[in-house]
Amino acid sequence: MKHPILLLVAAVALLPFVVRPVIATEIWIFAIFGLGLNLLLGYTGLLSFGQSTFFGSAAYVAGWLLKHYAINVFLALGIGVAVGAASAALVGYLCVQRSGLYFIMLTFALNQLFYFIAYQWTSVTGGEDGMHGVGRPAVFGIDFKDPLNYYVFISLLFLLSLWVMKRIVESPLGKILQAIRENEVRAEAVGYNVPRFKLLAFVIGGAFSGLAGVLYAMLFGIVPLEAIGFVFSGNVLFATLIGGSGSLYGPIIGSFVFIWLSESVSVIWARWPLLLGLAFVIVVLFFRGGVVEAWARLWSWWMRWRSSRQTS
Amino acid sequence: MLYALMGLGLSLITGVLNIPNFAHGALFAVGAYLLVTTVDVVGNFWLALVLAPVGVALMGLLIEYAGIRRLYAAGHDYQLLFTFGLALIISEGIIVIWGPVGFSHLPPPILRGGLDLGFTFYPKYRLFVMVVAGLLVLLTWLFLEKTRYGAIMRAGIENKEMVSLLGIDIHKLFTVAFALGAYLAGIAGALTAPIRGINPNMGVDMLGIAFVVVALGGLGNLLGAIAAGLLIGVAQAIVAAYWTEASTAVIFAVMAAVLLVRPQGLFGIR
Amino acid sequence: MALLQTDKLTKAFGALTAVNGVTLNIEAGSLHSIIGPNGAGKTTLFNLLTGTFPPTSGRILFDGRDITGTRADRIAHLGLARSYQRTTVFPAFSLLDNAWVAAFATGPSWKGLIWRPTVRYPEITTRARQALADVGLAGKADVPAREISHGEQRQLELAIALAAAPRVLLLDEPAAGLSPDETRKMVALVRALKGRYTIVLIEHKIDIIMSVSDRISVMHFGSLIAEGTPDEIQKNPEVRRAYLGGVAAAA
Repeated sequence: MKHPILLLVAAVALLPFVVRPVIATEIWIFAIFGLGLNLLLGYTGLLSFGQSTFFGSAAYVAGWLLKHYAINVFLALGIGVAVGAASAALVGYLCVQRSGLYFIMLTFALNQLFYFIAYQWTSVTGGEDGMHGVGRPAVFGIDFKDPLNYYVFISLLFLLSLWVMKRIVESPLGKILQAIRENEVRAEAVGYNVPRFKLLAFVIGGAFSGLAGVLYAMLFGIVPLEAIGFVFSGNVLFATLIGGSGSLYGPIIGSFVFIWLSESVSVIWARWPLLLGLAFVIVVLFFRGGVVEAWARLWSWWMRWRSSRQTS
Repeated sequence: MLYALMGLGLSLITGVLNIPNFAHGALFAVGAYLLVTTVDVVGNFWLALVLAPVGVALMGLLIEYAGIRRLYAAGHDYQLLFTFGLALIISEGIIVIWGPVGFSHLPPPILRGGLDLGFTFYPKYRLFVMVVAGLLVLLTWLFLEKTRYGAIMRAGIENKEMVSLLGIDIHKLFTVAFALGAYLAGIAGALTAPIRGINPNMGVDMLGIAFVVVALGGLGNLLGAIAAGLLIGVAQAIVAAYWTEASTAVIFAVMAAVLLVRPQGLFGIR
Repeated sequence: MALLQTDKLTKAFGALTAVNGVTLNIEAGSLHSIIGPNGAGKTTLFNLLTGTFPPTSGRILFDGRDITGTRADRIAHLGLARSYQRTTVFPAFSLLDNAWVAAFATGPSWKGLIWRPTVRYPEITTRARQALADVGLAGKADVPAREISHGEQRQLELAIALAAAPRVLLLDEPAAGLSPDETRKMVALVRALKGRYTIVLIEHKIDIIMSVSDRISVMHFGSLIAEGTPDEIQKNPEVRRAYLGGVAAAA
């Protein structure tokens, strides 16, 4: 039980020496995003294909305030969480009435609604060009413009988020959400207002996504239109699935894999989304269950091969 | 009318196969690009209009056979990721093959210019599209309602186990349904090309609208999809007359509003 | 005093009237069975009682209060718990968690819902373990539900209902699909629960019905055609006619 945490803390401490601080920061931000999605996907069994709605909305709102009013960093974070949660409450309220394919399509369609609003409202969001000039104000005299300082800040926030999520999934709420995933009818019969709990899952997931959104905006100083687009939603889904949606730490592994993939491929070819799409397709066809399971399968296969060689 | 076509195709696929087809918009785009290319190759718009959607349908067949077929038991998340990945591959592939800048394409000479309808001048080509799309919707509807195979498909939407128990090859049914849905998307795309020009992003925009149509019309409710498609098209045209920029966003807002009041959509059954 | 009553309860699905003007009075602490041929409307009656859907007309009274139309998730909080004919458990959960989640719902308070680890709810865990013990599954508390046998799953089905500490147990064919041996164990279990709970039992196996019931109501095509003690029902000509060999054949 202690192991994953220690490993993570070590990873957090060592990562900026392995990759550029900006990349490392991005990994943890994306991990927070994935944690939010996985509460819905892995724990409650809700495939929300519109998480970028909350991510992007928070990024835009907090980003705008940072840009025009240079607000305090913690206020920006708080607003990001609040906007993420509020937009998730809205979207969730409309979506939890439906299930299955309908639900997926609705989360997507509402994502598109927010996307088109952001696209058209160029005076505020900058439309296709994105919102530039998002500041990264100093806190307690520490200058966050230094990438390493910002990295430390982010990684602490990440560890905090992970701790919060861990508490949530180990709480009765975690059990209830999983019960809903396992058997919605029985969960209701046993005395839980299922739509309300699904909404709660949405709001919490949205809060995490919102936090990730603000941090992202501050990292790059810009809120790109893509941040509220469906490709982003797909990316976090991919990261969560490839890490394994069955565990708390899956999205973290997935974040590593995804960011590494996208960062290394994007410099090679401008058409790298094609390779990304290819990666999605390959993962789905051959690596279901995530990296962890694929690794386990490879390992046992390797073990069997070794032992068969020894006996022959 | 085009929305009805797209909605019908998507409703068919989601209803029969029960998968979220996020590649539907990309198939639409392929239809448009194939049309342009085929016209260049063959030199005849009409021939291209016939051939291009068939190309898309073939693509659909391949996709279903090579990929989707393996995923029926996999769960919506993986199906989603697969079709989404496909959409990425296709739209980026379009850029690779045809370049990132879109084209504009003129309609064939007969259909250029406008028709004097008395109260307004209406582009001939748009009328043509309306007529053809309407015909296609009608034909598809007739196929589904009146023919035996169509009835089997509708039965497949209602109850897959029943259909396979009756001895019908459910896999072939799925393949045909997907190919048909792809065909409808392809021809919608092909018809659209001369209207607004083509660009690599046209698929994404259309995808969202197709989903709205299906959400409003009811999943697998083919008539509902047609009706919803028409409604959305009309609504958008009206809004566009007063507030052009918001016309696309309005579609989604309308959907959200409707679902708030009627969670099952306009024609959904629950 | 009748703890659970229905007053001309009716449910129609379009042209089909599944439950037709059923009036029941179930005494506190008794075991009241509902029998009838397949399609008589017994499970629909249960669905009405547990709020799965609202009745077309009629009322449901619990402890004198009108609870007609109460939502399904509120029913458990009122003190009615149900077990299902088709095993409806939480497959990936351990047996303990299966019971825990049911116990928590109707527990004394939801304080700490989001932040307190589930292991720090001793009262709930105790209640869950007790429910498992009551059905004889205490030893397998940590086994995932999908790994136990069908017979054990039927026991778990019952345990989930018990974990809610209800006043009324609605048991829908608890012995469904059980071997004769397992059936005997289930009957003993139900008999052990008598008195501690008010039980409404739907069953097909007549020997079970006759041996445990205080009162029996017989349904046919949605209507109640007879009610009385096991003795009275056995001698009732209406019942014989409705079952026509069903009584003897099922024994």
